[in-house]
Amino acid sequence: MASNSAVTLTYIEFMFDSVKVKAGITRVTRLSARGNAADVLAVGNPPAGNPWASYRWGGNPWAGSLAAGNPPAGALPVLPALGELLPGGLARGSVVAAGRWGLLCLALAAGASVAGAWCAVAGVPQLGVSAAAAVGLDPARMLLVADPGTAWPQVVASLLDGCELVLLRPPGHAPAQVRRRVEAVLRRCGGVLVVAGDWDGAQARLLVTRQEWAGIEAGHGRLRARRVLVVADGRGAAARPRTQWLWLPGPDGSVGLADQAVTEMQDTG
Amino acid sequence: MGGPARVLVVWCPEWPVPPDPDAARTFEQVVSLVEELCPKVEVLWPGACAIGARGPARYFGGEEALAGKIIEAVTGGGFACQAGIADGLFAAQLAARAAAPVTVVPPGQAREFLAPYPVGVLDTADLPRPDSEGMTELLPRLGVVTLGDLARLPASQAVNRFGVAGGIAHRLARGLDPRPLAARPPSADLSVSTEFDPPAPLAEPVVFAAKALAERMHAGLAARGLACVRVRVHVISEDGQEHARLWRHDGLLSALAVAERVRWQLAGWRPDTPAERRPGEAGHQDEVQPGGITLLSLIPDQVVRAYGRQLGLWGDAVVSDRVARAALRVQAMLGHSAVTRPVPAGGRGPAEQAALIPFGDTRDPERPPDRPWPGRIPAPVPATVCQDPLPARVTDAGGAPVTVTGRARLSAPPARMSASGGPWLAITAWAGPWPVAERWWRPQAARRRARFQLVTEDGAAWLAAVQDGRWQIEARYD
Repeated sequence: MASNSAVTLTYIEFMFDSVKVKAGITRVTRLSARGNAADVLAVGNPPAGNPWASYRWGGNPWAGSLAAGNPPAGALPVLPALGELLPGGLARGSVVAAGRWGLLCLALAAGASVAGAWCAVAGVPQLGVSAAAAVGLDPARMLLVADPGTAWPQVVASLLDGCELVLLRPPGHAPAQVRRRVEAVLRRCGGVLVVAGDWDGAQARLLVTRQEWAGIEAGHGRLRARRVLVVADGRGAAARPRTQWLWLPGPDGSVGLADQAVTEMQDTG
Repeated sequence: MGGPARVLVVWCPEWPVPPDPDAARTFEQVVSLVEELCPKVEVLWPGACAIGARGPARYFGGEEALAGKIIEAVTGGGFACQAGIADGLFAAQLAARAAAPVTVVPPGQAREFLAPYPVGVLDTADLPRPDSEGMTELLPRLGVVTLGDLARLPASQAVNRFGVAGGIAHRLARGLDPRPLAARPPSADLSVSTEFDPPAPLAEPVVFAAKALAERMHAGLAARGLACVRVRVHVISEDGQEHARLWRHDGLLSALAVAERVRWQLAGWRPDTPAERRPGEAGHQDEVQPGGITLLSLIPDQVVRAYGRQLGLWGDAVVSDRVARAALRVQAMLGHSAVTRPVPAGGRGPAEQAALIPFGDTRDPERPPDRPWPGRIPAPVPATVCQDPLPARVTDAGGAPVTVTGRARLSAPPARMSASGGPWLAITAWAGPWPVAERWWRPQAARRRARFQLVTEDGAAWLAAVQDGRWQIEARYD
């Protein structure tokens, strides 16, 4: 029976694939180790030393290799794949809106985390921690506030005191007054707020406009990678809209430029 | 001085673990049942408590009789429990966990009783941290497999190799108290207390104050070279009610550990005031509300000489003060468990691969992440993991629900799906079924399901599962 054998094949294929899962995880370790030499994924063994004391944006040897071009002193680095979309990195004191909750939000935060910053995630109880780790966020330097409730502006302000980057999914549309208060805190602390949702007056706005999954068909294969078209626009210097095809996630869960990764996909697939 | 005092431990198997808010609250009932028979009950953690057995055993006519009485009382209250009596807390805990409902280890025979246990049980004794890391894994490789082997070694060798932790482990293996007790009660008053004015009606601010208070107590103890293994938490409420409990921990009680125990105690005392309640939410209560809390005191009840603790130069858990302050402030606003840190855990499903530990707690995940976990979902992993799986409906092209047989055979290719009552979406690509049968050896935790990956017409990808004939959405690939 044709349908029967197809099912069996899928199952066997899956068994082999489980080896690949491991490869994906090792990559996580490597990524986070970049930011902090003694650091491992396991939270039981969090980063050595005081990340605030030892970490200097300018002096960090990895910061340059990490982002496309050295981010200016007043910015947090972003992943190399996002360098084209956000040429200056994430400007300190700014708000970046990412349309809706998804891997793009995590990818935006990952660059700073790789470089050693603490990240807080507020209002996202459904966060997939493994996916966050795969794009480069270090779980050992992560605070999660699953449900900040109605007091979210105060929670975000408190988190910004300790963390350089806060990823927030606001429970509803934020009134202008609340937004201004949060933005004032941002400027004072020099942090970055990544919003999974809309934020009027955000300095940069990124949006996934098209997506297509690779590796899966009707009853065959499995999800391997997603090609997305990301459009970025914003205010001031970032006003000109830029578009970029990305692997989000790539075959191992990380983020890459789609054009480069095509050949890799053919090799593995 | 003779050996350690006789200790009776009452242990409730299958008690929910402490993050469960009910664990502490309902255990208070067990403690009060035991307290009716003998005073000075020390709570070890919600699920186990200990009493000094010598006096009560005389009163009730023997240790077996005492244990029998207690088990009768606790079982009468509707809680399953086991008891163990032995020299010292460590042996008594293991005796309580032995198969029979009552295990009595005769005086002076703790060493023989402990001898066959593997050294791994030392993990339950919570030895001082930096020295004990990896000790229980390393000992078997050195040929020391059981506690009996360890006890036969000269004490000096155990201390040479493993420092303070080795010395304590060796004392435990020989059936002695882990630390020699400080011989006489300290002359100075080491207790600390704080008043709440106006009275605190909720548990959260009290627990928050307890953290600071415990730090003050530790500072006072440390200045005298002492540390505390048993603390008495005394709470007085506005209407004059008092509540005191002894909390015991053989690993020294850190400030956070003390605060956690204050939380348990308040949860047990005032069952209608869950610690998680948000400030501002009005509490609706049927019972007479005890007034707000006016006084909290911490009294170090049993002190030992402090051996000090050397922080590792590298690799020790370091959370910078700035991050800790921010997290504590949010915890003060929303509750202790509102701020969490993710810890990798093992599992096949996306939800099982991370455990969220409240900030400030250290706990190892129940499922170790460094095992193979064959059949876990392949990379890339989903970014959105539903906390509770969403109910879903999946039909074939003809509109009939898609089913999976016990042999993982599909009734028909899935064609349309609807997640939690949402709009119907056409399925453009799918993979599966990937059958998983987990923990079939434990009927309560057993789970059989078949997983699918579905891609719908709007470009979204879903991780779905069929269990007991029902479709669920476990996660979404956003």
